Amino acid sequence: MNDNPTLSSMKKIEVVVHAADHRLIESALAEAGIAGWTMIRDVAGMGHSGFHQGRTIFSDETGLVMFVGVGPSERVRQAADTLRGFFASHAGVLFLSDVEVMRSDYFRAD
Amino acid sequence: MKPATLLAPAHPAEAASPVPATRQFTRAELALAVELAARTVPPLWPLDGAIAVNPLSGFETEPFGKAVRLAAETFRARPWLPLALWRRLLTDGAVEEAALRTAATAWLGGPDAAAANVAAGVSRLDLLMARLLHLPEDPAPQPVTDPAALLVADACAAYFSRPVVAFGSAAATGGLFALARALVTEQMPRARRADTATCPAQPLDAIGWALGREGAADANPQTRLARCVARLPGWAGHIRWRTEQADPDMAAEAPADMADLIAALLFADAVLGAPEAAPMRHDPAATVRQLAQHLGLDAPLPDTVEEIVALDPAALSLLFMQAAEDSFTTPLLARLSAAQTSAGRSDAHVPDAQLVFCIDVRSEPMRRAVEAQGAYQTVGYAGFFGLMIAVAEPGQRRQRQLPVLVSPQHDLALLPARGCEGEAERLRTRRHRRAAALTLFDRLKAGSATAYATAETVGAAAGAWMALRTAAPLLARRLLRRQGDPHALMPSLDPHGSCTGLTPDERLAYARGFIALTGIRPQSRLVVLTGHAGEAVNNPYASALDCGACAGHGGAPNARVLAAIFNEPAIRAALDIPEQCWFLGAEHNTTTDEIRLFDTHLAPASHHGDIAALSASLVEAGAGVRAARATRLHRPADDLARGAAHWAEVRPEWGLTGNAAFIVAPRSLTRSVDLGGAAFLHDYDWRGDASGEALATILTAPMVVAQWINCQYLFSTADNEVLGAGDKTVHNPVGGFGVLRGNGGDLAIGLPRQSLFHDDGTPAHVPRRLTTIVEAPVEHVRAVVEGQDVLRRLFGNGWVHLVILDPITGQQHRWPSVPLS
Repeated sequence: MNDNPTLSSMKKIEVVVHAADHRLIESALAEAGIAGWTMIRDVAGMGHSGFHQGRTIFSDETGLVMFVGVGPSERVRQAADTLRGFFASHAGVLFLSDVEVMRSDYFRAD
Repeated sequence: MKPATLLAPAHPAEAASPVPATRQFTRAELALAVELAARTVPPLWPLDGAIAVNPLSGFETEPFGKAVRLAAETFRARPWLPLALWRRLLTDGAVEEAALRTAATAWLGGPDAAAANVAAGVSRLDLLMARLLHLPEDPAPQPVTDPAALLVADACAAYFSRPVVAFGSAAATGGLFALARALVTEQMPRARRADTATCPAQPLDAIGWALGREGAADANPQTRLARCVARLPGWAGHIRWRTEQADPDMAAEAPADMADLIAALLFADAVLGAPEAAPMRHDPAATVRQLAQHLGLDAPLPDTVEEIVALDPAALSLLFMQAAEDSFTTPLLARLSAAQTSAGRSDAHVPDAQLVFCIDVRSEPMRRAVEAQGAYQTVGYAGFFGLMIAVAEPGQRRQRQLPVLVSPQHDLALLPARGCEGEAERLRTRRHRRAAALTLFDRLKAGSATAYATAETVGAAAGAWMALRTAAPLLARRLLRRQGDPHALMPSLDPHGSCTGLTPDERLAYARGFIALTGIRPQSRLVVLTGHAGEAVNNPYASALDCGACAGHGGAPNARVLAAIFNEPAIRAALDIPEQCWFLGAEHNTTTDEIRLFDTHLAPASHHGDIAALSASLVEAGAGVRAARATRLHRPADDLARGAAHWAEVRPEWGLTGNAAFIVAPRSLTRSVDLGGAAFLHDYDWRGDASGEALATILTAPMVVAQWINCQYLFSTADNEVLGAGDKTVHNPVGGFGVLRGNGGDLAIGLPRQSLFHDDGTPAHVPRRLTTIVEAPVEHVRAVVEGQDVLRRLFGNGWVHLVILDPITGQQHRWPSVPLS
């Protein structure tokens, strides 16, 4: 429930993929109409195939990247649906969660 | 950003359930499918900085054996060498028959299974060897004619070379898809044009329209889209380069993305019909007959030989490839093993000079020759020397001088080098004059009134110049050199205009990084950082002979910048560089085997004698390497300079032909071994790399670049027509970014025939996968490989062999990979 009138309910999407796949995620978020996102480069962590080390210095394609985006529920769900096709053949994780945001117009693309 | 307009609303419930055959795709789904399909081909870099890439990079997530079959189907190619050429290589001794028997025996399940008789005196191994060595090969399918792709290729050529096409097409203003659509529509009878009039103008919508029309609205449109991309790998690669690699101003000149190309092909198919694929057919019954006849068998062969009879051409060729790999690596590993355990691997004396060379395979013979000249230490490191730079003459476009895996961090201005101001001025004046003359020529040639008179106006002068270049290429070369020395300009470490230069902290970080990654301890009176470049004229592929680590350019700018950094007093003080050490930048001309030392006039007078002695050694070393290389090129050694200058020369050097190994170890491991110019050598001492970071860096960047090179040579040799650039003599450069064969069709990818084959058609390059050899404890290497997805993939899927030489146990370990067939 949202008791504070200055806060609006929205959905957050978090995606962690191999750095080499970052363009695909950007494309899916943009096409779904998500207004903006944060991209955290050089992410490392434990996964199904063991520990993924971070980025190496002479390659932008190593390590993992994390996207964090917030938007209206239907847009975020659409982005997630679109990415189903990606995760059918590519490694990575995707989370959705409910969040409350200030200045909700920042998160609307129209 | 505007929200996407949906062709059909996406309902979560629908997405979760099986997709109805009639549903339409959303734009977002199509956009993702297009992005995924784009990866079927690698980017194609333009001619001024050609980068070797694996044409099958889109299949690296699959094991090698499966990938070549998938790629064969997708590209209508044959990514394996035909048996006839393998048999020729066997006769020439490039592949050993014993190694082939070993590979065949292993495939049959071991010595016992191989020796089992299928008829009196005929073993299973005999059958397989007969297929490998004697039986006729399955006929290759007829090449597919694809008029739709040819039309779209014409549209691409017109659209992307707009800046050089005098009569621009009005339709081009609507984008690539609009232009292609107009071209295709012109081919249709007017009466039929209404059929395709409903096709939307937006490329993604047009793709959705075409898929719906084809009734191909299956759950995953990707196979169809990927096959579109594979029909024009050259133009598709060019689009990938534009959208993903080019600087934004360059991409903006002719904006287009893969959706344009795919939409154009699908639209053309809707009009002209999609081409029918002709699959490669293997006829087991014919093989049985041929085997019986060859081995003189009367009785029918038992069913147990089915698997031998069923082997497809890919499987047979890959057995040969394994044998070729073993023929190379088995003796190499034995020699390295002996060297590993031999005493005296450490050098006690201070070398007269330390020379750092690029890891490029052409450095290895030169390093060996230099070492033979005296007390010289050589070190292998990626030839961009770790500098993340781009360089630009003021007012000109920047040129990247670093591996394409990373983006430049610093822009350095190309300014007159200290002491070369006069020469730089002369260079600039003559360049301006030449540029003005070329502009005038282009205008004359393109103008509707002047075009007819151009030949008469400039013909005589051009004819004289052609005659000189033909009859006296070395004189023409000298005259060209009098236009000014391009190396009179060097990148400035200081800011200039929009170029940032390098701050003192950045300079120190680069110097420190160089020492950490090479493990070098500067101690000699001269430390020479040697980049490399090829030399060729009238050769669209000239940059393929340059340094891959410098984005297909010569390595001199990087070598000179790092040398200048190391000669700065503040850097020397911070890193405790001994007072007697002086750093020099240099460049190895791989076509003539001359090494040029730069900025020697800036060295202290105390070092002039050292420089003279080193120069003499380099001349001697170069002469030795040139003689050996000339033998491989079947020509006299003194003819190589002429080849570098002659405008009709199709093979100025062999480039990286023969590349087969990537060795990550101290030079002391390889110093006693003649690697024949087949190995990339990267210095590495695991004892100074407890975290494994240096090894991870070497394997994920220089080794990946080496793997791209290796796969480019491998597949360009296997199928030179589809995965290589074909015969050089019909090449026609287009727009400065690629070559066409003749006057149309796809942009050529890969390497030309003359770079890979002898004139009699025998491959000069033996297709082998790269073998990476790392000297370090097994657990140290394992931790690095398992932490990097790209390494797990390349080694695990058998794209690169990994052999670990454990210095503690003295054992050799092979990284496990999926079997080939």
